Amino acid sequence: MTVPLTVPVDRFEHEALFYRGDADFLAGLLPFVHEGLENDEAVLVAEPRPRLELLRDALGSDATAVEFLDMAEIGANPARIIGVWATALDRHTSAGRRLRGVGEPAFPGRRTAELVECRLHELLLNHAFDGGPGWRLLCPYDQEHLPRAVTQAALHTHPVHSTSATRLSSDAYAAGGHVAAFAEGLPEPADAVLRGVYGAGDIPATRRTVAQWARSCGLPEERVEVLELAASELATNSVRHGGGRGTLAMWLDNGAAVVQFSDTGTVTDPLTGRLSPPLDHLGGRGLYLINQLCDLVQVRSSDRGTTVRILTWF
Amino acid sequence: MPCDTTAALSLGGRAAYRVAVRAHGLVDEVPGAGPGDHLCWVYEDDAAFDEAAREFLVGGLARGDRLLCVGQRVIDSLQALTPPTLDAAALIAGGAVETLTLAEAYEAAGPFLPEQQLAYYDAATRRAMDDGYRGLRVIAEVSDLAAAPAQRAALVRWEHLADEYAAHGSGFSAMCAYRADLGPEALADVASVHPLVRAPEEVSSFRIFVDGDRIALAGSVDTFSSDRLARVLAAVRVRDDRLVLDLAALGFMDVAGCRVLARWAADLWAHSVALEVTGSSALLRRMWQVLDLARIAPVTFTGALA
Repeated sequence: MTVPLTVPVDRFEHEALFYRGDADFLAGLLPFVHEGLENDEAVLVAEPRPRLELLRDALGSDATAVEFLDMAEIGANPARIIGVWATALDRHTSAGRRLRGVGEPAFPGRRTAELVECRLHELLLNHAFDGGPGWRLLCPYDQEHLPRAVTQAALHTHPVHSTSATRLSSDAYAAGGHVAAFAEGLPEPADAVLRGVYGAGDIPATRRTVAQWARSCGLPEERVEVLELAASELATNSVRHGGGRGTLAMWLDNGAAVVQFSDTGTVTDPLTGRLSPPLDHLGGRGLYLINQLCDLVQVRSSDRGTTVRILTWF
Repeated sequence: MPCDTTAALSLGGRAAYRVAVRAHGLVDEVPGAGPGDHLCWVYEDDAAFDEAAREFLVGGLARGDRLLCVGQRVIDSLQALTPPTLDAAALIAGGAVETLTLAEAYEAAGPFLPEQQLAYYDAATRRAMDDGYRGLRVIAEVSDLAAAPAQRAALVRWEHLADEYAAHGSGFSAMCAYRADLGPEALADVASVHPLVRAPEEVSSFRIFVDGDRIALAGSVDTFSSDRLARVLAAVRVRDDRLVLDLAALGFMDVAGCRVLARWAADLWAHSVALEVTGSSALLRRMWQVLDLARIAPVTFTGALA
């Protein structure tokens, strides 16, 4: 089914752009960016470094009207990206401008666990922005270098998919896909796991245990302190909202130190920790902070319980 | 007996670039007597208290302080001291040791108001120094004051006021003894306003005390102690349009603790007082920025980063 390209949308339009090579990448993106500038929209591009520079150079003098962000930085942990878009949308909408974004979270070279989180992030974008102010987000996918499963998944996470030549609505897309993705389990650790149970009186002991383990793994002190803080926040969440107790698991996996907190509580809003919490709002700050400070955070929750897994890369 | 408690006890914090003026931390024994001591002593049984009281008394007498024993429990301990350990009767007769029951203390200082307490102890300290002593060293057993929640807030305010008085070279020093069976809530409230504390760590996770021209926060603060931190910070007296909080000896603080600091800064700001935070970790500054706490109140961060 062909969707006309130029009709301005009143809703959130989330589109995957499949490309093969630099020329095709530019052939898909340049018209999208130019159209935005012609409509006087605020254009925000979040790309990893080499592609960001490629696009900036190709835009020439138009590049000054575009805001660029390094996706490898803002999206190192994909759970941080929605907050960036939400802030930009809020800023430009309140200034009376429409937002147009380019975001490539799932770029080649990313680790498997990161790509898994990119998929959840793409699904949550629909949940976060459907029904809000209209804006367009184009997500480039490198068909040459990404695993086929990743590009295939993009058909399920974007209601519209395109190439430099075509633009189609995705038959594979179904709204609400984030619900199942947020509830599904995480892969079991392959190696030996250290496990412990904590309750209300054990928060200081839990954070010290995590800090000690992280230190013994050889992580730098700055990372150790971040994990200690994360441990305190997550163990506190378990005690306060997760049935009063939880399980801590720690293991080494594929170049990462992994610390995981599980409890029987349910995180009802899958966007928890992804959007900057309002000042007067008490909950969600811990997870928001953890998302900002940690390398990769994987949150899964259903009526069977909640798991927060933190990966720190060596 | 640890004499240099600062060096021995602050290793867990980030005090490396600034040596705290006052000894602080958790102790097991009565530290060597020093000027400005303010020690909270939580005791389980009478024998343990008698021993600690004796240590504190002997240390003060050796320094040339006058000793003031407040509360019947302390007076009982004192009277148990007979030669050759110490001749309590002779010391009392000679004026080196004075005693005061709680009832007498009330009569002397009036109803329990922190400012009146301060006025009373200030006069007693000056009198001791006029009489040729180096200072006034007080041992007070005031568990009964801590037992009543309504009274406890005033007691915490008084303890903090006394801490400031001790810290500023007045010649006043004190050991404040509390029975362990007061329970963790009451004990944590009173312990948190002393630089030196003898108590289980779960009772005293953090300590607020006066250090030179600053307020120091030592230990660790998490969600479960953050309400207490808010109460204790509210007791801090402001004497200037600027207040410096030293976090060099703070080992850990979570989001709830940071929010308490930010709200305190907002209260100070509302009273035209600017809060300056020094010695904080790089992580705490990062948290401040990520959580956008500057929106709650302006806070200046100074000092080297760890």
